[in-house]
This record gives sequence, structure tokens and C-alpha cells, in this order.
Amino acid sequence: MKRRDFVRTLGAGVVLPSVGAFRLGLFASSPHSDTSLLVPMDDAQTDHLKAYGIVYRVVQAGIKSEWLLNYRGGSFLLPDGDAIRRDAALNGVAVEAVDPSRVTAIRGEIEASNADAVPLEKSPKIAVYVPPNDPPWDDAVTMALQYAGIPFDKVWDPEVIGGALHRYDWMHLHHEDFTGQYSKFYLIYPGSGWLRDMVQFNQAAAKQLGFTTVPDLKKAVARGIRDYVSNGGFLFAMCTATETIDLALAAHGVDIAAAFADGSPIDPDCDAKLDWSQAFAFTGAHVEPDPGVASFSDIDGHQVNAPTRRQPLGAFKLFNFSAKIDPVPTMLVQSHRDVIPDFYGLTTSFMRTRLKPADTILADEEGAPWVKYIHGELGKGTWTFFGGHDPEDAQHEIGDPPTDLSLHPHSPGYRLILNNVLFPAAKKKELKT
Amino acid sequence: MRRSRSALVAAALIAFGPRLAPAQSVGAGFNLERQGNYAGAADAYRLTVASDPTNLSALLGLERVLPQIGRQGELLGLAQRAARMDSTNVDLRALLLRTYVALGEGDSADALVKRWAAASPTSEAPYREWAIALEDQSDLIGARRVLLLGRTKVGRPGVLAIELAELDERSADWEDAAREWALAVAADRRQSAAAASVLDRAPLEQREAVIKVLTAEGAPAAARRVGATLLLGWHRPDQAWTAFAGTLDAPPVSETAYALREFADRAGAEPTRQGQRVRGLALDRFAALVPPELAVRARMDAAQAFLNARDVAEARPALAKVAGDSTAPAGIRIEAREAVARLEIESGALDSAAAMIAALGEAAGAGVREELSRALARALVNAGALDRAEASLAGDSSVDAMATRGWIALYRGDLVTARRLFRDAGPYAGSREEVTDRVSTIALLYQVSDAKSARLGAGLLALARGDSAAALDTLLRAAAEVDSAGRPVVRLLAGQVAAALGGGRDSLAGALFASVVRSGGNSVAPAAELAWARLLVRQGDAAGAVTHLEHLVLTYPDSALVPEARRELDRAKGAIPKS
Repeated sequence: MKRRDFVRTLGAGVVLPSVGAFRLGLFASSPHSDTSLLVPMDDAQTDHLKAYGIVYRVVQAGIKSEWLLNYRGGSFLLPDGDAIRRDAALNGVAVEAVDPSRVTAIRGEIEASNADAVPLEKSPKIAVYVPPNDPPWDDAVTMALQYAGIPFDKVWDPEVIGGALHRYDWMHLHHEDFTGQYSKFYLIYPGSGWLRDMVQFNQAAAKQLGFTTVPDLKKAVARGIRDYVSNGGFLFAMCTATETIDLALAAHGVDIAAAFADGSPIDPDCDAKLDWSQAFAFTGAHVEPDPGVASFSDIDGHQVNAPTRRQPLGAFKLFNFSAKIDPVPTMLVQSHRDVIPDFYGLTTSFMRTRLKPADTILADEEGAPWVKYIHGELGKGTWTFFGGHDPEDAQHEIGDPPTDLSLHPHSPGYRLILNNVLFPAAKKKELKT
Repeated sequence: MRRSRSALVAAALIAFGPRLAPAQSVGAGFNLERQGNYAGAADAYRLTVASDPTNLSALLGLERVLPQIGRQGELLGLAQRAARMDSTNVDLRALLLRTYVALGEGDSADALVKRWAAASPTSEAPYREWAIALEDQSDLIGARRVLLLGRTKVGRPGVLAIELAELDERSADWEDAAREWALAVAADRRQSAAAASVLDRAPLEQREAVIKVLTAEGAPAAARRVGATLLLGWHRPDQAWTAFAGTLDAPPVSETAYALREFADRAGAEPTRQGQRVRGLALDRFAALVPPELAVRARMDAAQAFLNARDVAEARPALAKVAGDSTAPAGIRIEAREAVARLEIESGALDSAAAMIAALGEAAGAGVREELSRALARALVNAGALDRAEASLAGDSSVDAMATRGWIALYRGDLVTARRLFRDAGPYAGSREEVTDRVSTIALLYQVSDAKSARLGAGLLALARGDSAAALDTLLRAAAEVDSAGRPVVRLLAGQVAAALGGGRDSLAGALFASVVRSGGNSVAPAAELAWARLLVRQGDAAGAVTHLEHLVLTYPDSALVPEARRELDRAKGAIPKS
């Protein structure tokens, strides 16, 4: 069945629960079998972030749901059931019971506007790339997943090198430096205990996995992640991971790490030797040659830790895509706010001049030479890069307390992260049709 | 493309250059440089240098832009010519030195420094400039060698200490950095603020070593004061004062007084009791070093700091000294006596406080006298001396007095009068905490319809006096006596007291909460269920807590406690990171 036909079938009546849903008893005691539940994602929603958790659990239970793209901020349509209502009530998520005639009216509105309904079929199995020590910074995705109640596994270099990624549908990278230079933290936090631990863990992992240096290990990990995407995985990266994974991929066989990381200086001619065909998103970038400058390359527009180059924060604007023609980018930009205040990360943004022509820009700062949020395809899979560290802590510094998302339940920046988590549930259908 | 545009700019500059004054072409160079057109900027700067070979702005511009376009070598000849033409110009010498270093001309740099040092044998400038140039090239070892050479040649121990400290910081050796800063501040005390600001960034594990260096026996007073400043910033006020107190005899007195005042101000920013206490100690010593008119105010501030620190033993003599100082202005003496009266009230010496308030008489303003009397009345209420409390409020018709009378009525068991007085006092009498207490009590009183309940009054008085065990016992008996509608709320209160007592009373608390959840109805049951869940969390039973919190959210969706319950639920499930 084509996806459009499937949606039309749904439009004729209510969302049908699957066998799995009956088995789980989610509808067994439902007094609302002729109604559906609309999870509004506009300003009527009381907790936008937890709404994604509700939908994830519904899909995880084998119940087909729909994502109503561009309809009331990207709402969700679920079958009605006591268990779903209970989950929503416990989590403070607003839901609206809608009868069949209202569902039909909604579908009519969707058909007549730049909106679409996308079925959500399978909850993605999630891996988050996290080092085994306890780094003194928070990871926005881990926090968003925990807050929304979405389960995930932690993986690190041994799992990637050992080929374990095929078990996962979706993978997230955050603050990792794939050039193997420990984010050049030695310049800002020399002598810190956590930095010593980080160096120690990475060196031990390199030795254990048979690599001479940490940069060599990280390049191999980057290639493992690239293979994972190529074979159909969904990659979502934020902060430094975006810039450095591409540098690591382009620098196969080229020394771009300073002597403190691998014992040898950066190849002075490295720029000319980089192979950008191996990278996900970027091309033609210049590697920062000075080990004394806390920057990796000229990909990042904001250069937060290079005082003479640092740019001030503005706001970024989400693009408005055609939901019926471009459902994938449309899913990734679903939000109740179009303009979102920017936030720093070791990599905050991506210079337009360094993007590959095939990249899809999802959000940018108007008039600025950089963009914030990009997406693309590689082989059978996709990647999405989002600059910055923590959408609700614009100046996040190492050692700051983690962001308490219960104080930011409507965060549009965190919503973008959760769009990415849910997007593979729909994407599978896209690939099949 | 870029090259052709810069060629055009260069051509234009050459064509029109002779007509431009040097300052104008330097300005054009700046503009081009700002636009990222380094080749164009270099041409503009060169134009200036052609007509004015020692123009420093243009030469510095070339120093900035030429490396960007890989033409740094072009600077050498220009810098050499400029240095020759104005051989005493330190800036031009420094530029030439940096150029030699940047181009790897080590021997030439060495020779230049030797000539420079021979011309100015007591100056550290040649070595500083040389070290900075080497540092710019990431040659930290070379920079250190040059600085140590400079120290030896110039022959003063503190010379180039700041530069060496900076190198130590860069290599994360904060102990050596502290050692250099100690030399630097000993040579020039004006560097103390910079030293404290830089060393404050030392990581946690190196701070002890830094403090040890700065406060070692024999360390100069200026270094020890930097150590004291750091300790204050690192929230160790007692140790900070110990370090600082060791420098009080160091001359000159005026500098010590200034340092004491600064220390006291810094300590004042430390909100802890220890911080306030050392502020008091510093101000007290400051008072001994300054003229009498400043000393009185300082002693009063010291007493206030001791009061903030709840250090009655230190505050009392400080206040007594001001109150008894016949040379002090009358206003400050009365202020001191008022403060002593407040101190007596807070420390429970209520008879003495009553006598002092009476003795103040007309000297204190009417407002202050009434405020002291009300504070005394509140203290008497909490001490159970209800009749004396009522007497001390005689003639006071303020809303604050009305609120205090409400408490007197409540503790006597006159619930009707207490309700009326609390309602009339409204939400503005007393501090925010007092208002909150009163509103909570009104909420309780509106659930109990009895006109009088001596037992409930006694239970609440015991609670106010901090006798939780007696309060629990009395409240349990009161719950059995009040009408059935008021019983759940009194049980809830008893349960909360039992839970706060902990230990063997947890099971009693649980049983009380359970009975309220069963019978309390929508007004009290959610609070009981929330309190029950918190008790279970404290007992390590997160799953049990989750069950109750979910029940609360689902059963009482309109309760004002639902957001709080959801937050507790998130915590119990681990969805909110621990800060």
C-alpha cells in the first residue's frame, strides 16, 4: 500500500489499533472506541517535550499513530484508550478527544493546506555515543530522552569498532572530538581532573582496540559511524561532533591532530590532502593549524573559544518546507516557534561556504554567513547536524549544573532534537513506499 | 578572483597614493584589513611606509597582514630600516625583534637583544619582548629561558615575574605561578588584584599548593594578602582571616587599613555565617586603625556583621562599646542600644530585652519602639508567655500586632478569634515567612469548624516552640476531639510532624497519611498523598512513591498540588538530573 493510500484509508475512519495493541491491553477497557486523541503541539500543549514520549510509547506498543505535519505545530493523532489517556495525564501532556467527524474535518484541513499526515509505525531503537567517564557537561539529547521517558542504550568506541551499531535505528553524537584532540580543552582547563580522566580513558581504549594513537582510534570510529549511516542508520549529531566527525572522515591518512594528541605535529600541508568526498556535510574547510587556538577549523561560524574570532549569538529561523513534497525536512522542523534564540557550543553553527551542495538547510540566521541546522542523505541512511550544545543554556560552560527540563517543557530547541528521535519511525514507511 | 580585486585596489592606491597623506593610507589599510582584503591592506600600509619609513601604525599593520598572505619575509627589510632610522625607539626595536623570531632568525634576535640590553642595562624590556615573540611562536621553553636570562642579567629578584607566572599557568603549573606572583606583588603591591584574579582560576586540586606558597612563613605580606583574598573567593573565610591576620603588623598602617577595609568588603559578599564573622573581625581591627569618626561607624558595621553571623559573643561587646562611647554621635549610640535589645530578644533573654526597651523610652523613635515591642511579643508568644505577650502589645493597633494577637488567641484554643484576627491582618503583616505561616494556619483553621479547641492550640504552640514530640502527642489527641470534618487536616499535620521526626515514627506517619487519603476528601487527601510519597522516597521506596504520585495526579487532576506531584514523579523516575 502506498503511503498516501494508507493515509486516505485512515482518513475514512479512526486510527485502527494493531494486534499488538490489543495484546497489550491498551484498548481493552477503553470507553472511547469511536474517538481518537489529538496531541496538540501548538500553544495549547502543556508539555511539548513529554508529548514525544507519549507518542514514542504508543508506537513502541505497536499502535499505529500519525504525525500531522504543519497541523497545529506538528500535532499527533493517536487512537483513544485509557492507557494513553492515563500516560498523558501523568505526564501533564494535553490531549483532546476528537470524534470521527472532527477527524475527517482535520484531514480536510490538512489536504487543503501545506500539511500532511505521516504514519508512525515502528519506534526506533536508540543509541547515544557517550564516553564511559562522567564528563562535567550535560548532553542535550540524553536529557531530552530521559525527560520524555524514551529508552536508549549508551555506546562508545568498543561498540562502534566491534560493529554493534547495526542493532540500532538511530544514533546520537554530542560533544565528542573525533580529531582525537580532547576538544583542545588543555588550553582552557589545564590540570583538571576530569580532563586527565578523559585522556586516560581514551588512551586506554586506543591501546585496547589496537590503535597507536587516540586520533587514529577516533578516525576509525568516525568511519564506523559513516558505514552505519551508509547501511541505513539515522545519525543525529550536535555540538563538536558535527564538525569533528567530518574532519576525521576527510583526514583519513592525514595528520590533523596536534603533537600533544599523537606525538607528531599537524601536517602543514593537510588542507590540500583532505578528502571531503568521505565527509557527511562539509567540504573545502581549512584545518586550524595552531595548537594554541581552541578551534578545529573554519567550519564553525561562531568560534566560541577563539576570542579574536568569536561571534555574538543571534536567532535562527526554521525553514518552511512543503509537507506533501518534502515530508522529511518538514518533520525535522516541526515546532510551535519559527524563530529560536541561538546557543553556543564548541561548534555553534556551520559556515555556508563550507556546506556541500546537496545539504538541506533546515534553519539559518538570516543575513549571517552561517546556518544552524542541516540534513542530508548518505547511502541508505540520513544524517542531521544541529550546532550548539544546550538549547536552553546559551552560554553553557563546563561544570555548570545540568538543565532541568521540567522548567523548559515548551523548549522549541529541544523539540527539534525530539523531532529527530521520532523521525525514523516515519522514515521507514517513506523508504518502503 | 580575490587576487584580481586586490590588484585593482593596489593599482588604485599606487595611482592615487602620492596624493594621500600617510594617515589616510593607513586608514585605507585598516578598512581593507577589516574587510579581509589582506593583500590590499598590505599595499596600503606599504605606501605609507614608503613615504614615512618609521610609521609605527603602518609597520604594525604589515606585521598583522603579511603572515595572512604568506609574505611575512617582506617585513624584515622594512623593520630593519625603521629600527636603523630611529635607533632609540623601543616599539620599532620590538617589532624588529618579533620579525626576527617569526622568521626563525634566532642569531639576529640574540644580537639585537644584546645591543638593546647594552644600551639599557637595567631594563627588562628586551627580554620581555623577546619572550613574548617566542611565546607567539608557541616556543614556551625558549620564552622561559629568555625570561630567566633577563632576570639574571637585570639582577632584581621580582623582575619578569608576571611573564614567568603566565608561562607557568599555560603549562598548568599553578604552584610555580603562585611563586612568581608572590615575587611580583612583593616588588609592586599594585599587582595584587591581578595576582588574585589570575590565581583564582587555579583548578581545585592545585589550590592547596597555591595557598601554601602564598601564605608560607616568611612570605611577604602582600603575597599573604593575595592568599587571603583567594581563600575568601574559594569560600574558606576562616582560613582567609588567619592568613590575613598574620599581616596586620606589616607597615605602613594606612595600607593595612585600606587592605582591611577591602578584605571586609569581600567577606561581606560571602553569605555564610563564617563570612559575616570574619567581616566583623576585619572591621573591628579596621576601627582600631582609623580616626574616631570612621571608627564608630566601622564598629557598628562590625557588630551588624557579627549579628548576621549569629555570633552573639562577638556582637555584644562590639555593640556595648559603641553604646557606651560618649564621643560617638547620639544616633549611632541609640542604634547600638536598639541592636542590643534585638540581640536579647533573639537570644531569649526576654526580661533583659523588656527592660532595655523600657529604658530606650523616647530616645528611640515611636516606630522603632513599637517594632521592638512586637518582636518581644512574638518571642513571648513562642515562649508560651501569652499574657505577657498580650500586655506588651497594649496600645498597638497595627496589623502586625493584630497578627500577633491572632497567634495568642490560637494558642489559647480560641479558634474563632484567631480566624477573625488572621483574616483582618491580611497578607501584609510581618515578613514573608510569617505571612506564609499565617496563611497555612488559616487554611487549617477553615477545615476545623469547632469554636474552641484548647488541645489543638496547645499542639500548635508546642510545634511553634520546637517541641515536636509533645506537639505530635497533643495533635493526635486534638484530632480525636475535633469535629469529624476537621479531623483529617489535624491528622495530616500530625503525620507531617511524625514524618519530620523520622526514626520510629515513620510508620505512624504512614498510617496517618493513609487514613487521610482514605477519608480526607478532595481538600486534604492530595496533600496527604504527596506527603506520603515523599516519606516513601526518603525511605528508599521509589516504586511505592510513584504509585501514590500517579494516584494523586489521576484522582485529583484539578488539585493545586498536581504540578508539584508531577515534578516529584519525574524525580522518582530519574527523569530530572540531580543538580
